[in-house]
Amino acid sequence: MVRPQGGQPVAEAALLRMARAIRHRGPDGYGLALDAGAGLVSTRLAIVDLPCGWQPLASEDNGDLLVYNGEVYNHIELRDELAARGERFETSSDTEVVLRMLEREGLDALHRLNGQFAFAWWQPARRRLTLVRDRFGVRPLHHALLDDGTLVFGSEAKALFASGEVSARPDLAGIDDVFTLWGPRPPRTTFAGVEQLPPGGLLVWERGRITEQRRWWTPTYGAGDGAGADLRELMGDSVRLRLRADVPVGAYLSGGLDSSLISALAQIEKGGELRTFSIAFKDPRYDERAHQEAVARSLGTKHHVVEAGPADIARALPAVLRHTETPLVRTAPVPLFLLAEQVRANDLTVVITGEGADELFWGYDLFKEVVVRELNQHDPHRARALLEEFYPYLGEGGARRGPAFTRFLLETGSPDDPLGSHLTRAEATATVKAFYRPEVAAEVGGTASLDRLRGELPRGFDGWSTLERAAWLEVSTLLEPYLLAAQGDRVAMAHGVEGRFPFLDHRVFGYSASLPPERKLDGMRDKVALRELAADLLPEDIVERPKQPYRAPEVVPFFGPEAPEWVEESLSPAALAKTSIWDAERVGGLLKRCRAGRATGVREGMALVGILSTQLWHEELCETGADAYPPETSEPRVRIDRSASRSAGEAA
Amino acid sequence: MTDGNSDIRKDMRGFIEENFLYLRPDVELGDGDDFLALGIIDSLGFVELVEEVQSRYGISIDDVEITEDNFGSIEAITGFVERKRAAA
Repeated sequence: MVRPQGGQPVAEAALLRMARAIRHRGPDGYGLALDAGAGLVSTRLAIVDLPCGWQPLASEDNGDLLVYNGEVYNHIELRDELAARGERFETSSDTEVVLRMLEREGLDALHRLNGQFAFAWWQPARRRLTLVRDRFGVRPLHHALLDDGTLVFGSEAKALFASGEVSARPDLAGIDDVFTLWGPRPPRTTFAGVEQLPPGGLLVWERGRITEQRRWWTPTYGAGDGAGADLRELMGDSVRLRLRADVPVGAYLSGGLDSSLISALAQIEKGGELRTFSIAFKDPRYDERAHQEAVARSLGTKHHVVEAGPADIARALPAVLRHTETPLVRTAPVPLFLLAEQVRANDLTVVITGEGADELFWGYDLFKEVVVRELNQHDPHRARALLEEFYPYLGEGGARRGPAFTRFLLETGSPDDPLGSHLTRAEATATVKAFYRPEVAAEVGGTASLDRLRGELPRGFDGWSTLERAAWLEVSTLLEPYLLAAQGDRVAMAHGVEGRFPFLDHRVFGYSASLPPERKLDGMRDKVALRELAADLLPEDIVERPKQPYRAPEVVPFFGPEAPEWVEESLSPAALAKTSIWDAERVGGLLKRCRAGRATGVREGMALVGILSTQLWHEELCETGADAYPPETSEPRVRIDRSASRSAGEAA
Repeated sequence: MTDGNSDIRKDMRGFIEENFLYLRPDVELGDGDDFLALGIIDSLGFVELVEEVQSRYGISIDDVEITEDNFGSIEAITGFVERKRAAA
């Protein structure tokens, strides 16, 4: 927290409450620094330089302070480079490398950092605070600018609430983003007055005002810088860097191509010591265990399986909402929360995963649908035949397709709409909005969220191909808020487990963005370059396996035989009235279908999860008082107190 | 209009109101109104509708018969069921 004037103190008690609120992210200890009109606190998940590496880190040169969450993987190379120029280091941590680089090169240094990070850099001499978030937004960073110019910031919004300076109130437009795009679109969050830095974003605050706010990196297409690189070498290096840690690193294995490829490369790098972790489901419609076990056997990893049943999903949902800090449209983050719990129970704190491959190498069905829709413009007969071949059945039970499906996929939205690739998802998700109370619908319903997105498209967007636009939209709307946050960082860090993503190395992105399109999607064959790379490393059936979307049961956990009692309570008219978002009569219609076992459709599943998760999110975060955030009571590992000397100096 | 015909209309209206129209209180559905154009029924809802007709009236439905002409409105379903019954 930083205040406009040096004479206004930051209470240590507030910092202790903030530390406690996010100790799950840093269970190994914490440190704090009090400066004149500034207070920084950091909780630590110890991964690099275990004995040292505590924060806040202070510069001996000028008193700058850094609190930093995440990893810079190329810190060893950067340290060598700085050492060759005469720099001396006190620790072997990446934090110290980042602080030195910032001091020497300013924000230009960011472009040389390869990693996932969110940090706050305090320069007391200028009373300037700089907040920075990594390129893809792997690490979260929230802030609130108060009326008096105070800036409160923290990895998670609950740190801001714990400060006592910011209250948790719903932001209807942020919630409406969730029911359009699956997550709030930065800088918006689902809380009024709380913002988040966008991926690749930075913010500079000086003496009570935000003086700069921009993206230091954005994804672009067409003219990437990786065309000449070798993908095997690049991915091998990305995995090698992401295995750097002073603690063991494991891997998540879904049974699909991407995580299998990452696990194969990690196993080579680690020389046969890799431990892999998978989610399995009791319900065979969601279960991929046979594929996971086949890959683990083939790679010779020590494999762990966590089975998520309906009762486990229902039991964990309230805690998941406390961590995601946003309502959800899917229950899929819940099994990953349970998986991280088991990773931690097995004494691992770092896992690598295959996240990002589908966005970079066009693996999602969404990209194939773009191709089919374009074909439909001039050859509708062929487009329908392709669709038939591509989606022979509908839904989880293998139901027959009907004309509604074809019409929905081929005719939703105008072909000229820049968001064309994403309108079917938005349209299906918007089912949840049908349950808004009329006054909520009047304020935020309809297409407001999509209209805002249309106004925020980057320069150059019009010049990209339809598939490149779809890729930008996927990276910009789904990857960060949903896959990396709600289904990634938040549910892993809930248990102090750090996810690392080799496909999201910016060099791999640059390579993929500059590949000819047919090296990604060739007709209906996706991830072509990746499949070729995998052919040397994995069994053929895994290399050629079509993508199975990762999903978890949505209605059964809450209305099946093992459903907990609190579900009906959370969805009762009285509870709905308290949240003031949902129309009780319409929700009643949905609940009737859920109770009768008729709510089997994708849209109804989304509606139920959307409504129930909003209720729980509100209960967990908006209905709690100050006593929800007690102070940290253990001793800090670092305590820097300059508040008295500087305040006195300034007063003098 | 036969009694059977009016029963089918009534049954189908009840089924659609109970299962789909709770989402769309703004829609006053006429017998000839197009479900898909109005966005009342999505793809899985359409499948559910076909299955309901199949089991309620004990008729078997081929994939090629799952069209908007046969299932696109209450009137279309009524005509389809009557034709199937007459052909049986």
